[in-house]
Amino acid sequence: MDRGGRSHAPPGGVERDKGEGGGGRIAGGRVAAALLGRLAAAALGRLAEAALVVLALATLVFLALRLLPGDPAALVLGDQSSEEERAVLRGKLHLDEPMWMQYARFVRGLATLDLGESVRRPGTPALDRVLDAVGPTASLASLAVLLGAAIGISAAVLGAGPWLGARRGWVDRVATGLAATPLLAFAPVLTFALAARLRVVPLPGDPDAGAGGLVFASGLLALPLAAHVARVSRAALDDVARAQFLGVARAKGGSYARVLWLHALPASIGPIVTVIGTQLGALLGGAVVLERLFERRGLGTLILEAYASRDLPVLEAAVVFSGALFVGAQQLAAAIHAAVDPRVRR
Amino acid sequence: MRVPALAGPRARAVPLAVVLGVAALVVSGARSGAGEPARLEPELSWAAPSWAHPLGCGEGGVDLLALVAHASLRAILLAVCVALVGFVVGCPLGAAAAVARGRFERAVARACDLVQAFPTFLLALVVLSAVRSPSRVHLGLVFVLTAWAPFARLALAQTRVLRDQAFVEAARAIGVTPLRVVVRHLVPNLLGVVAVQLGAAAAAVVVSEAALSFVGFGARDGVSLGVVLDQGVSAMLRAPHVLFVGAAAVFVTSVSLMAAGRAFDPTFARARREN
Repeated sequence: MDRGGRSHAPPGGVERDKGEGGGGRIAGGRVAAALLGRLAAAALGRLAEAALVVLALATLVFLALRLLPGDPAALVLGDQSSEEERAVLRGKLHLDEPMWMQYARFVRGLATLDLGESVRRPGTPALDRVLDAVGPTASLASLAVLLGAAIGISAAVLGAGPWLGARRGWVDRVATGLAATPLLAFAPVLTFALAARLRVVPLPGDPDAGAGGLVFASGLLALPLAAHVARVSRAALDDVARAQFLGVARAKGGSYARVLWLHALPASIGPIVTVIGTQLGALLGGAVVLERLFERRGLGTLILEAYASRDLPVLEAAVVFSGALFVGAQQLAAAIHAAVDPRVRR
Repeated sequence: MRVPALAGPRARAVPLAVVLGVAALVVSGARSGAGEPARLEPELSWAAPSWAHPLGCGEGGVDLLALVAHASLRAILLAVCVALVGFVVGCPLGAAAAVARGRFERAVARACDLVQAFPTFLLALVVLSAVRSPSRVHLGLVFVLTAWAPFARLALAQTRVLRDQAFVEAARAIGVTPLRVVVRHLVPNLLGVVAVQLGAAAAAVVVSEAALSFVGFGARDGVSLGVVLDQGVSAMLRAPHVLFVGAAAVFVTSVSLMAAGRAFDPTFARARREN
């Protein structure tokens, strides 16, 4: 990477960097270009990996619905259905073909984003129903990630800085307690207290709840994430606390806040991004639980609905799609980590 | 983890005592006169806590104490089984990978990363949707698919540290076979650290099981903490006690399993004494 960047530079560029005042800009531009190149290379590798993971998940979905005991057609139509009805449905879902042909059709469908028609609503492609549901879930999850990162990092900075004095220990304790509390236990109770009793916030399932409902729901989803982020970034901050560059920054007269935000945090961003990446799976599960709790529209509700009505194509599409979203978000986190932290580049 | 005051062997006894207390409560509930969680008394629907029914009644007059006790017992049983299987599979795998080094080590580490970050919930939805009536065995199988990864990762990390230590090198130098090095020198030093994960894994299984049955994917017998929560949410305004009972049960069960895991931690008592 580095060598390639240098060969494109004009001859004598190195001296100019040292000599003239304008050199800083050129060097800065080159660094930015190198960073972009690195990002692009990392992104390509990660894209391939993400595609592999999604394919693995899709294959698992495919096999689960076909190899496990039980006739899918009977699952869809119920036990009272006649043999002819089942045969028709089997033909429609291509379940009467040999397994390898079904699989080839399935993979081709993945590549062309054509995952068949909804069984329950004939004429509606499964993918359309999924795309309808993606918006609410994506906004819920991304807002939760932002809130979780913001709250968690602020808590860690508060705990590491001198402002709270002897009460600093409480930040750790609250974070540990929250990290140990399952979302399933506190979300319904908080909803009952805040939305049903005190009516401070609107119920997020309400169609006209608007932004308040979304913020409340993603705040609930963000709390466990914030606790994990707080613990990890606190540990990372403590890790760099003895580094020399922090001493230099303090000696130059930087305030605690400045040193923490500008010097210590960027050095410890790696573990923070990593922990967010590993918490994404839990976040997705939490989103399904919250959507069920609030009866809010979204991918989770769609999956549950498709399960209840045995709408196999929609179920397949929704699961594969949410898996793809999840893998994409995770690879994004890894790419950010690689771009920011020179130690993890390959 | 700076909890003051407790020290010495007493500190190790505390998490165990917590778990035993919860277990006693659970068993007393499961044994108590109210009996089966399937028994319904429609005239007691959503009744508030009373002397006859200490935790009140839920939908159709089911006694919540009996339901919660049976549900936690079954959840804990499932969780312990899953955690033990994960332990038995993951621990040797991680240790073997670290001892083998090279490509195998990298492959196992990568697989752990992938599986650990995998949305278990999605996986569970897929597998359970293909089964006509999901049972706890199906749930356990789904959880085992991903449960080994944290154990393997921990064992891998710990073995990486151990394999270069002087006593292991000394054992190799005097001609001990690799298998014997692993069995006699590595595994005993590994167990304590990895065993702590048993509690965390079991707690995660309890929560996932409750979450799955909360969204309607649970075992068909309907005896689950998630069912209590589901009833509580649907009758939130009429009978808030159901909601609180469900939430508290999920919390207490998962936290006490985590505490039980910490009792295995060999460094736990020492760290407390130092503070």
